[in-house]
Amino acid sequence: MKNRRIRFFQICILMLNIFSVMALSLFIYQTTEIIRRHFDAREFLRGVTAIPSNPRNNVWICGVLLTALAISFILRETFFRAKNKAIMASLIMDFTVSIVIVYLLNFNYNGILIMVFANLMVYIKGRKAQLALLTMAIACFLLADYNLLSVGYNLYSVNSYISYYSASRQQYLLGAYNILVSLNIVVFVMYCVDVIMTQRGTIDEVNSLNEQMEKVNEQMQEYAVMSEKMAQTKERNRLAREIHDTLGHTLTGIAAGLDACVATVEVSPEVTKKQLEVLSAVTRDGIREVRRSVSELRPDALERFSLDYAITKMVTDMNAMSGAKVYFNCQIKNLKFDEDEENVIYRVIQEGITNAIRHGNAKRIWITMMKENMDILLTIKDDGIGSKEIKSGFGTKHMKERIGMLGGTVSFDGNNGFTVNARIPIRWGETYD
Amino acid sequence: MKKKRYITAAVIFLAAVTAAGAVTVRKINGKETVLEFGMFTGSNWDVASANSYVIIDKAIAAFEESHPGVKIHYDSGILKEDYSEWCARKLLEGDLPDVFMVLDTDFGQYCSLGAMKDLDELIAEDGDFDESAYFSTALNIGKNSGHQYALPYEVVPTLLFVNKSLLAKENIEMPNQDWTWDDMYEICKKVTRDTNGDGLLDQFGTYNYNWLNVVNTSGAKVFSEDGSRVNFTSSEVYGALRFTKQIYDLNQGQKVTQEDYNNGKVAFMPLTFAEYRTYKTYPYKIKKYTTFQWDCTTFPAGINGGNTSEVDALLIGISDGTKHEKLAWEFLKQLTYEEEMQMDIFRYSQGVSVLKNVTTSEEAAAIIQEDMDEGERVIDSSLLGSVIEDGIIAPRFQQYDQVINLADNEFSKMMEEDKNIDSTTKIFQRTINSYLKQ
Repeated sequence: MKNRRIRFFQICILMLNIFSVMALSLFIYQTTEIIRRHFDAREFLRGVTAIPSNPRNNVWICGVLLTALAISFILRETFFRAKNKAIMASLIMDFTVSIVIVYLLNFNYNGILIMVFANLMVYIKGRKAQLALLTMAIACFLLADYNLLSVGYNLYSVNSYISYYSASRQQYLLGAYNILVSLNIVVFVMYCVDVIMTQRGTIDEVNSLNEQMEKVNEQMQEYAVMSEKMAQTKERNRLAREIHDTLGHTLTGIAAGLDACVATVEVSPEVTKKQLEVLSAVTRDGIREVRRSVSELRPDALERFSLDYAITKMVTDMNAMSGAKVYFNCQIKNLKFDEDEENVIYRVIQEGITNAIRHGNAKRIWITMMKENMDILLTIKDDGIGSKEIKSGFGTKHMKERIGMLGGTVSFDGNNGFTVNARIPIRWGETYD
Repeated sequence: MKKKRYITAAVIFLAAVTAAGAVTVRKINGKETVLEFGMFTGSNWDVASANSYVIIDKAIAAFEESHPGVKIHYDSGILKEDYSEWCARKLLEGDLPDVFMVLDTDFGQYCSLGAMKDLDELIAEDGDFDESAYFSTALNIGKNSGHQYALPYEVVPTLLFVNKSLLAKENIEMPNQDWTWDDMYEICKKVTRDTNGDGLLDQFGTYNYNWLNVVNTSGAKVFSEDGSRVNFTSSEVYGALRFTKQIYDLNQGQKVTQEDYNNGKVAFMPLTFAEYRTYKTYPYKIKKYTTFQWDCTTFPAGINGGNTSEVDALLIGISDGTKHEKLAWEFLKQLTYEEEMQMDIFRYSQGVSVLKNVTTSEEAAAIIQEDMDEGERVIDSSLLGSVIEDGIIAPRFQQYDQVINLADNEFSKMMEEDKNIDSTTKIFQRTINSYLKQ
């Protein structure tokens, strides 16, 4: 809130006032002593309308009061920083003390009032209050003027003490006196300008921040609309993927199983019957899977079992259902990851098998999983027909998307059968020990 | 942590207050109260005085006895001519004595500087104090712009010295106390002559009897209350100046000297009561005026005026900064209001008591009579009383002395050069008024 320059000015004004008041009271005391020493008292009294009641005491009292002012300033800057009541009390005390000082000096120096108002100004908030304060300060300053008050009251004048000295000395003393008075006002004006500038600066800053905030707000709203759309799209894609994964996989299995049945039904009705029973079970599984997908969109096997078991079950089911032989080789102990990671691994394997059977007519499928550094390397290789160029059907596209979501990479190789190489980064730590 | 700090601050504050209190209590209890008194040695009336401390010492002793634990201290040996400077220095450093004598030249200034305590409140609060015990003239001398700032301690009227031997030689009766300008003119006319036949006058009517003495008996009011204006053009002032001129003209331009007077060649001279007392009594009576019999009387009155003359008083006041206001007031009363104490003025000083009861008492008359030669007629105390009560107070504005000096010059030039009184006073009045306005 308060910047360094303002405090610097405050200290300047304080020092200047302490110096001025002490210099003035000491000057009057010293001059009194000189007059007494030269036995000029009677002559001197003839030219004055008033004298301080006790110049020596005045010096002491001024000293004590100035110390009080300095202490209250220091307290305000250190202990009272956030205590509004204490600050107000100390400012009121300052005001009283400086009134006493002005009175002791018989209004020959009223700059000390300026100091109080300078200090007060920093703590008064609000344009109206500041304006009122400034008016009060000016009124006080003008009213507490020697030339004005000496018309109605008998006040002693520094000038009469100055005029005791020789003419050349008088000029220096008058000069010094006027410089002190003016310097105080000059510093005060500089201080005021600084305070006003600082406040101006703060206001500008706040205004520009406000503008920025409004802009950001607009952007945020746009983002919100956009992300809503994105979420919709994403969700739609996910649904499509789920349907494709579960229904597609099951139907492919059933189709392959039925093909097998067509082939075997005449040769061995027994085998065919068994096969049909398996198909029936798989179909039911598929139905359940679809239901679950609709409700939760999560692989049922994974929902109920561990990843290890779910994969093994899927492989067993596939082996039983289709003519293809699936080999699952996992070199990682304790297959347990975060849910999204497990989902991705399960789906990628499911997709890989489905693709190998559906597009590659593969007879054998090798699935290997191993750990390399913090990643899991997943390879699904088959002995199918492969493909010269990789078409981005739903299968590979979804695989890419899923693995991409975990920050992993996947590559496909259509030579020598079809190979899927996936590298999936895993957040080990909390679940893997 | 914060609590601890507050407690520490509170403890330090309490300790400081207690220490300050203890020191103060010790100061009050341990020491006796010392009341400072400021006075000068010698007489205020520019006559020799051997007993300046006797009265004060007696008063102090009486006061200290009736106020145990109170001591009165004064610096001795300050001469009257140094006293004003001494007071001024004390005033400058803010160390004026609690009770002090004020010279009339300083009084007005000290009042306006706020150095004197306004006594009105003390007077009003004090049931034992009755202002009417004082001569009102004397009391008024201690007033400034309507407030009583000092009380008179001793008062001195101006009287007219009469050379009884000279009058007897010329077969003139001693004038009455209610005599007039005409009476005086007749006497002066008879007295003024050349006795040894050398063609020059060697016996005169008056010495030092000037226009101001005459104006004071004319009923004229020359100065306005605040001293901002003078009025020299009233018919009373004209009459007074005309009479002064008549008296002056009797001498035919010859200057009367102190020597003429000392040799018994002059009939009348203004003289303060203090001088009267000093040179009437031993040891000073053998110093002056030994070749003739003399006495004092009142001034002759003008047509609208009385047998009045200037009255001067020595004032005592209380400094505004005194810390023992009540005690100072008590001591001031001891000095100016105690009848026994005021009787000592007649015993040891040359002035007159400011209390009517004391001045008009038989005891006072007896004291005045004490040292006089047998058969000398003493100014009786009731006359003294009326001279003081009717007395005229010289205004106390700052330029008064200068105005009087200027008038002295102007009017003596007017007499010497035989100028027209009317036009001279008119021009002079204009000059003075514009001077006073500055």
